Amino acid sequence: MSANTAQQKTPWILAALLLSQVVLMSTNARHPDSEQSVLRIWLVTAFAPIVHAADSVLSSIKGTGASYIDVRHAREENVELREKVERLTAELNKELERAAALDSLRRQLALPTHPEYGKLAANVISRDASLWFRRLTIDRGTLDGVKRDMPVATAGGIVGRVISVGPNFAMVQAITDKHAGVGAMLQTSRAMGEVRGVDNDRCELRNISSSENVEPGESIVTTGLDRIYPKGLLVGTVERVEADPNGPWHKIIVKPAAPVDRVEHLLILLVDQKDLKLGEGK
Amino acid sequence: MQTFKIALTIVVALLLQMLLPNYVRFFQYIDLALLVTVYFSLQRAPVIGMVTGMIAGLGGDAVGGGILGVGGFSKTLIGYLVGAASVRLSLENPLARLSVVAVASAGNTVLFVGLNQMLEQTLPHVSTWAEFGATIGWKMLGDTVASIILFVVLDRVFSEQATARRMAIRKRFYE
Repeated sequence: MSANTAQQKTPWILAALLLSQVVLMSTNARHPDSEQSVLRIWLVTAFAPIVHAADSVLSSIKGTGASYIDVRHAREENVELREKVERLTAELNKELERAAALDSLRRQLALPTHPEYGKLAANVISRDASLWFRRLTIDRGTLDGVKRDMPVATAGGIVGRVISVGPNFAMVQAITDKHAGVGAMLQTSRAMGEVRGVDNDRCELRNISSSENVEPGESIVTTGLDRIYPKGLLVGTVERVEADPNGPWHKIIVKPAAPVDRVEHLLILLVDQKDLKLGEGK
Repeated sequence: MQTFKIALTIVVALLLQMLLPNYVRFFQYIDLALLVTVYFSLQRAPVIGMVTGMIAGLGGDAVGGGILGVGGFSKTLIGYLVGAASVRLSLENPLARLSVVAVASAGNTVLFVGLNQMLEQTLPHVSTWAEFGATIGWKMLGDTVASIILFVVLDRVFSEQATARRMAIRKRFYE
């Protein structure tokens, strides 16, 4: 093909390429499982081991420098942590007693018991590869029993849910993502609403009536009504309430309990969606 | 060999895009797929530019999240426009290349956000015009600074092509 012919054909090639992208976009936008696309699975499945290996090397280099500094503060931290362990052990015993009493009451009232589910530890190998979406890529996939829509959490609270899964990786949509939503309620008043990501590592609790008394620092937990997160998991705490005297709803800014923006290790809750019955919310 | 090198460059760019935001938060503002697209589009070959743009854009969509094809569309168009401009204008000197990166970065952001709005996808950092402007500015800065390093590396990797391109331009504009 001469240079002139190639130049003449260029607009046609451009049109063909753009049209193929438009078709792809339209198909994906209409598809509810667009995150679970074949191209994404193939590409990230191939990339995941390389990224994981590189991440391990970089983390160990970073860790070596940090280790020396950490050692210097280890003694004070050790004392602090011992005190914390004692306090938390006492709290745990109290909570176990409460849970036993609650289970006993649930049995007497013939209420369904909370389903038990396993947990699977995972490492974050990539995060927020683009500015627009809050995504974490973790090193567990279908080979480990991970499925789409499984919740992901740390000991502190929920992080997000699995939106795309391949054999050796899973992509997690963080609760701070603009497209994320969690059925949630205020722990004290039990007023129910929905937590939405607002970016800047914060969320917003919506649909809480302005007549409701909301205090900063109050805990927010999952309702179990979204059929993704089991009931009673900690989402975060109320950071501030921006009351609109003329509006029907509070504007509640939530600080996630889990360090979503810097989490490195997390737990996938192996929840089977069919176990999350609607009756859970009652 | 040339095709293999380009493919490998795209793969490495996508791997770095996945890896580096873990360590440097500002890296979110840098779009390596776009920079690779602009680099190959500046080779005075619009077809190579747009094909590279499409592949790098789709790869970026796959690793970054969101609707597949949005990044592919915007980078295909950017690849073509930069390629077409490089045929008509002399964009060889470093300052011209930086200007092209800055304009391409702004154009890519506007296209990407616009397409997402058309598909009714809400995005962060674009709630108000001021915020949108700031996001474009930061992305332009990030992409331009990153291109200084990246283009030097790529010029070394593709030194034969760079020399041939310089010769062709000298012939065209100065002889």
